[in-house]
Amino acid sequence: MISGEEERMDAAGIPYMIRPGKGPEGSVLDLLGQLIGSGGADALLLPFRVPSGDSFAWIMFSDVSLLKDAVPFPATMPVQGGRALRSLTRKEKGKLRIIALMRPCEIRAGMELSKLGQVNTENLILASYDCPGAVKLEDYVADPVSCDSAHSEMRSRGEPSGNARSACSTCVDFSMVDADIHFGYFGIKDGGMLVLPGSPAGRALLEGLNLEEGRGLLPQWEAEISRLAERRAATREETFRETAERISGFDGMLATFSNCIGCHNCQSACPICYCRLCYFDSEVSRTDPEALITAAEKRGGISIPPDRIMFHTGRLAHMSLSCVSCGQCSDACPVSIPVADVFSFVAERTQRAFDYKSGRSDGEALPLRRFLKNELDGVHEMVKDAESEASPNE
Amino acid sequence: MSQNGSVLIIGAGIAGMKAALMLAGASRKVHLVERLPIIGGKVIKNEESFPNMECSTCMVAPVQQAVLQNPDIETYTYSTVDRIDGGPGCFSAVIRKKARYISLVDCIGCGMCFDPCPVSLANEWEEGLMPRKAVYVPCSGSLPNVPVIDASSCLHLSGKQECSLCAESCAFEAVNLDDSDQVIEIEVGSVIIATGADTFDLSALPNLGYGILPSVYSPFEFERLFASNGPTQGEITLRGSGTVPRRIAIVHCIGRTEAGYCSSVCCMYSFKFVRFLRHKLPEAEVFNIHLDVCTPGKSYQSFFTSLDDRDTTMLFTPSIDDVRVTENGPSLTLSYPAPDGNTREIEVDMVILAAAMVPDRGLGEIAQMAGIQLDRHGFVMTVDRESGSLQTSRDGIFVAGTAEGPKDIQNTVIQAESAAGQALEAMSAAAAVNKERASGS
Amino acid sequence: MRAKVGVYICECGPNIAEKVDIDGIIAGLSEFDGFGETELVVKKYGFLCSKSGREFLEEEIRNLGLTHLVIGACSPRDHDSTFKGVCGRTDLNPYLYRIINIREHCSWVIDDVEKATEKAESYLRGGIARVLRQSELFENPIDVNPDVLVIGGGVAGMQAALSLAAEDRRVSIVERSDRLGGRALELSGLSSGTFRGSDIAAGQVESVMGNPYIDVFLNTGVSSVIGFLGNFVIELLSDEDGATTEISSGAIIAATGCAVYDPSLSGSYNYSDRDDVYNPLEISRMLSSEGGVALRSGGRPENIALVHCAGRDELNYCSGICCGVMMKTALLLKESIPGVDITEFYRDICVPPHEGRQLYESVLEAGVDLVRVESAGLSGTTVSFREKSGVEDQRSFDMVVTAPALIPSPDTADIALLLGIPLDDTGFFQEAHRMTDPSGTTTDGVFIAGTSQGPRGILDSMRFARASAGLILTRLIIGEKLVPEVAVSEILEAYCTGCGNCLEVCVYGAIYSDGSKGVSVVNEAICRGCGNCFGSCPSGALRTKHFTNTQLYREVDEALR
Repeated sequence: MISGEEERMDAAGIPYMIRPGKGPEGSVLDLLGQLIGSGGADALLLPFRVPSGDSFAWIMFSDVSLLKDAVPFPATMPVQGGRALRSLTRKEKGKLRIIALMRPCEIRAGMELSKLGQVNTENLILASYDCPGAVKLEDYVADPVSCDSAHSEMRSRGEPSGNARSACSTCVDFSMVDADIHFGYFGIKDGGMLVLPGSPAGRALLEGLNLEEGRGLLPQWEAEISRLAERRAATREETFRETAERISGFDGMLATFSNCIGCHNCQSACPICYCRLCYFDSEVSRTDPEALITAAEKRGGISIPPDRIMFHTGRLAHMSLSCVSCGQCSDACPVSIPVADVFSFVAERTQRAFDYKSGRSDGEALPLRRFLKNELDGVHEMVKDAESEASPNE
Repeated sequence: MSQNGSVLIIGAGIAGMKAALMLAGASRKVHLVERLPIIGGKVIKNEESFPNMECSTCMVAPVQQAVLQNPDIETYTYSTVDRIDGGPGCFSAVIRKKARYISLVDCIGCGMCFDPCPVSLANEWEEGLMPRKAVYVPCSGSLPNVPVIDASSCLHLSGKQECSLCAESCAFEAVNLDDSDQVIEIEVGSVIIATGADTFDLSALPNLGYGILPSVYSPFEFERLFASNGPTQGEITLRGSGTVPRRIAIVHCIGRTEAGYCSSVCCMYSFKFVRFLRHKLPEAEVFNIHLDVCTPGKSYQSFFTSLDDRDTTMLFTPSIDDVRVTENGPSLTLSYPAPDGNTREIEVDMVILAAAMVPDRGLGEIAQMAGIQLDRHGFVMTVDRESGSLQTSRDGIFVAGTAEGPKDIQNTVIQAESAAGQALEAMSAAAAVNKERASGS
Repeated sequence: MRAKVGVYICECGPNIAEKVDIDGIIAGLSEFDGFGETELVVKKYGFLCSKSGREFLEEEIRNLGLTHLVIGACSPRDHDSTFKGVCGRTDLNPYLYRIINIREHCSWVIDDVEKATEKAESYLRGGIARVLRQSELFENPIDVNPDVLVIGGGVAGMQAALSLAAEDRRVSIVERSDRLGGRALELSGLSSGTFRGSDIAAGQVESVMGNPYIDVFLNTGVSSVIGFLGNFVIELLSDEDGATTEISSGAIIAATGCAVYDPSLSGSYNYSDRDDVYNPLEISRMLSSEGGVALRSGGRPENIALVHCAGRDELNYCSGICCGVMMKTALLLKESIPGVDITEFYRDICVPPHEGRQLYESVLEAGVDLVRVESAGLSGTTVSFREKSGVEDQRSFDMVVTAPALIPSPDTADIALLLGIPLDDTGFFQEAHRMTDPSGTTTDGVFIAGTSQGPRGILDSMRFARASAGLILTRLIIGEKLVPEVAVSEILEAYCTGCGNCLEVCVYGAIYSDGSKGVSVVNEAICRGCGNCFGSCPSGALRTKHFTNTQLYREVDEALR
């Protein structure tokens, strides 16, 4: 992101700034209000606190007076924003021009879904912000008040803390992604904020607002982002190493997923799992009872229902190329399986094998759909590397 | 006069087979005559074909199977055509089916008859690189997978000795040592000549040592050496010594001067050999001694330019005719004129000669039999060339593939389809003419 | 109805019988109760593929009222069609039969009788399990339209039309420009001796115009194509008045020809419109004009350089015909301008075998100076070059003739899109199979011919056209119906989310997206049942008939029991 800064400025224009005052949250809401007011968009899609107070929900609205109740940087992520975008634009672009403010991983999920024909970005203005990570749902529901203050603390430090999701601690794409507008505030003193156009559409919108030029703030923001990215990359390495060890071999997989209760919450919460009916919930994937009996006779015993590992490996095969490592799956797991750690780890490798990175704007074709003359050249080496990573003693 | 819509095709290589399948697809009866006991032609001698390095057998075997299983194609293997009389729409031809001594119907190709046969001689299909018995199939994977008894070397059939070990070993009573040649007369409307080509006779150039120095190879010898169903199961080892070559020279344009044309495929197969060597012997050093690099067509030059210095060293010589290969202890010395006028030498342990494509050595006889003319190079001459016609000098007889001149597989298949199309066109035209005549009389 | 599966095991003489205990398998399968209510009839026979074997099977099917048939014998490549034929002669649907290879997979590769038998029996059990889940499929012959549309009125297009047009088969030629003849007509100035491209084209134009079964649409493009082999509907759009014409045809030949490379795009050719630098087509025009070959200034050139291989490095292919054209150009220039000095800078001589050395020798005889170079470039009419020996030099000339490569015509990509056929990495049409099916494309019923597939000469283009025409003669037979593939893919609408993976991986263009429902749909008339889509669908919405998951899984499950 940092290295692409010049390129970005060429395409999208110069950065703007908002002076300290209301703090990032207030500034973002102000600016979104101005955008609606100026006619740049018809509606907004933002998180709001639910009446019970212990969660957030996506609300689409055009009445600017509601804006004051929105929570632009919510502490948790109950419904992945990619899913919200899909609900709005699954069939067509929609009549309204909507600005959606989301975490970078939610925008990345939206990009993947748009490649998969599930999201139409044509009438969407996607806005992202520097994300310190999300608090685990479980923790938040138990004590929203202290979690809110913990999250506020995370935002000021730019780093996930103890009750953040593991996926957030290992996330290196937590700042500017391929959104139309990005709000950057990490490392900027006294609550000032950068407003960065990320696309010609974003630039056109911002140009109408008479914002102050913000190039001067860039260096401190960039320095902070790269410092934080380095720290998270180190955590990522460490987590990947542990994961490799944990899931090594069939026994490793079995141990990792042995307490899976088969609720398939991970799949329901996953923004990328876009199938109408998951293959693994469909009749065709179910083993014939007769075959179960045969298998039991032959092996002496089998676990019922079968295919627990198959579900997870199958899902890895189906969607790890598009996995954005948002961590929803782990949050949704009632028995605390580190699903997201496994998926991030595998996704990083499968995406590398196809020289692909999920979540970038729709120009890049999905690996499954393109045929290259020379593909998977280094895959054998990769498998060997993965094996030696998993068993470093050999 | 009754019209005959059947077609006689001479030669069951890729051209003959493709033409046969096309015509059978148009519900025509096809008589496909092949001189060898198997069909498939020269392409199946190659393990892989340029430029996609596609497995040739995988490419051709389905075509062979389709031919053998097509009820509209009568395949005569181990057969020749003795005579063609008549004219378009009403040819009569005589096919001589040589005695095979093994029943094509009863034999199931188990190969039990090979072992007991006491005769051993060089297998010509494998370029003499491995032995065969008097009862044999040319190569593993032969189609039809039915052996033949070579009467001239069989002890029993040549009258040298009473022997019927093969017949005794056959559980299917498929061996018939009393078999005799069969003469079959057929009526056809058109004839397609698809008899293929040969490679230049390398013994005509003693300066290159072919036939004298065992480490000097012809292109097909090298193809078989690389082939996984070949004499060494694909291991590249030198004839005689059995050692693995470390330095290999491929000499281009062999026979170009003598033949009087560039065959347009030798550069490509030479670069294919480079790939073969790189694949099997990654440590070996490969030299290409070349003159013009001729890689015509949209996908050929990139096959060459994607090679790099690690794959081969390209050595230009202005005169291939002055290349010499001589013995040098256990290895060979190859000398060639360099562009600066000096003669250079390299030491190698294997030389592959990229020989030109020349007319099939039996083509003269076939042309005489069929009453068709050959061109100045000895390939089948076409008339009315300006309409892209493949009509030979005799009406109703067409030519396809390398019998017409050197070409690659793609253009061979295009010609086969073209000749088959022309035969269909001609037969409907002949039918129309004859119908008119009949109604007029 | 209770299923009754006939399982027939071929002894193949001793081939299977010696290594597989067939009686043991018969006993084992007869006792086996894993198929519930299904009744099994298990028998052996000497040679099932023989005439008597086939008749035996037919009688068994009829007399015993078999609902399914499993044959334990050789490779399906040997006799699958034989036993399909057996079913065809009875009332048993051929898709309720399956051949299990217990010869190549068992008796021929396993020495131990017990192990070979065990494997053969498990294969057969798998086969029975699968066949019980197979469904009847019915072939559905369709009427075909024998007419043909040819896109492009050059030598290839015209030749194809002439080969095909007949009383019962009309051919339409649609041509973008205002005349038939294509590039070949531009070569009139270079016509001489055996090289008479423009005469050939002119002769064809006459034949086409005089043929009552050929319709010619000039100044016309193709605006839409729908349908499949046997039944295409094509909309033609007139460039003159924007009027559209709808025609129908059973097949389409794309013969859209080629264009020539612009050498000035190459970094090493620096010249402008003011320099006397020409390509052979321009020389041809001059040669056939009254003024003959002249410099822009009006004078006659005293010395001319012919520089080969323009664009060869940039495009990374050799067009294969330029050397011949250049040598002929040299000879004609020598003839037309008395006393002119000609130097030909060439890299590799690549002339088709038919031309042989004769042309090369005539060029030498005519006194053309042939210089072999490693590379050559232009600065105006000054040629700078590097010889093979490494010597670099430059020489100035009055006139330079370049040899630009043949490139795809500008229309190629648009036509490819309309016809649903791919281009290869050179931008020419891509063949169905480079070697075994060079005239076909991935869209059945669409054929290619001439230089639209790649650079080639006039005669080869015409032969190519005859090949495509020939294929049409064998595919669209007047009075015969076509039988489309029946084991095709289908999409279960209830499961499909319309992600489009299948659409992207289908090489035949058989899948389209139904936007209103947000799902993908298979056009069964185009689908060839390859199964690519099946593998790309994450939600199990795709199913390839005769190869369904249930069929495959049950076969494997049962075999591994």
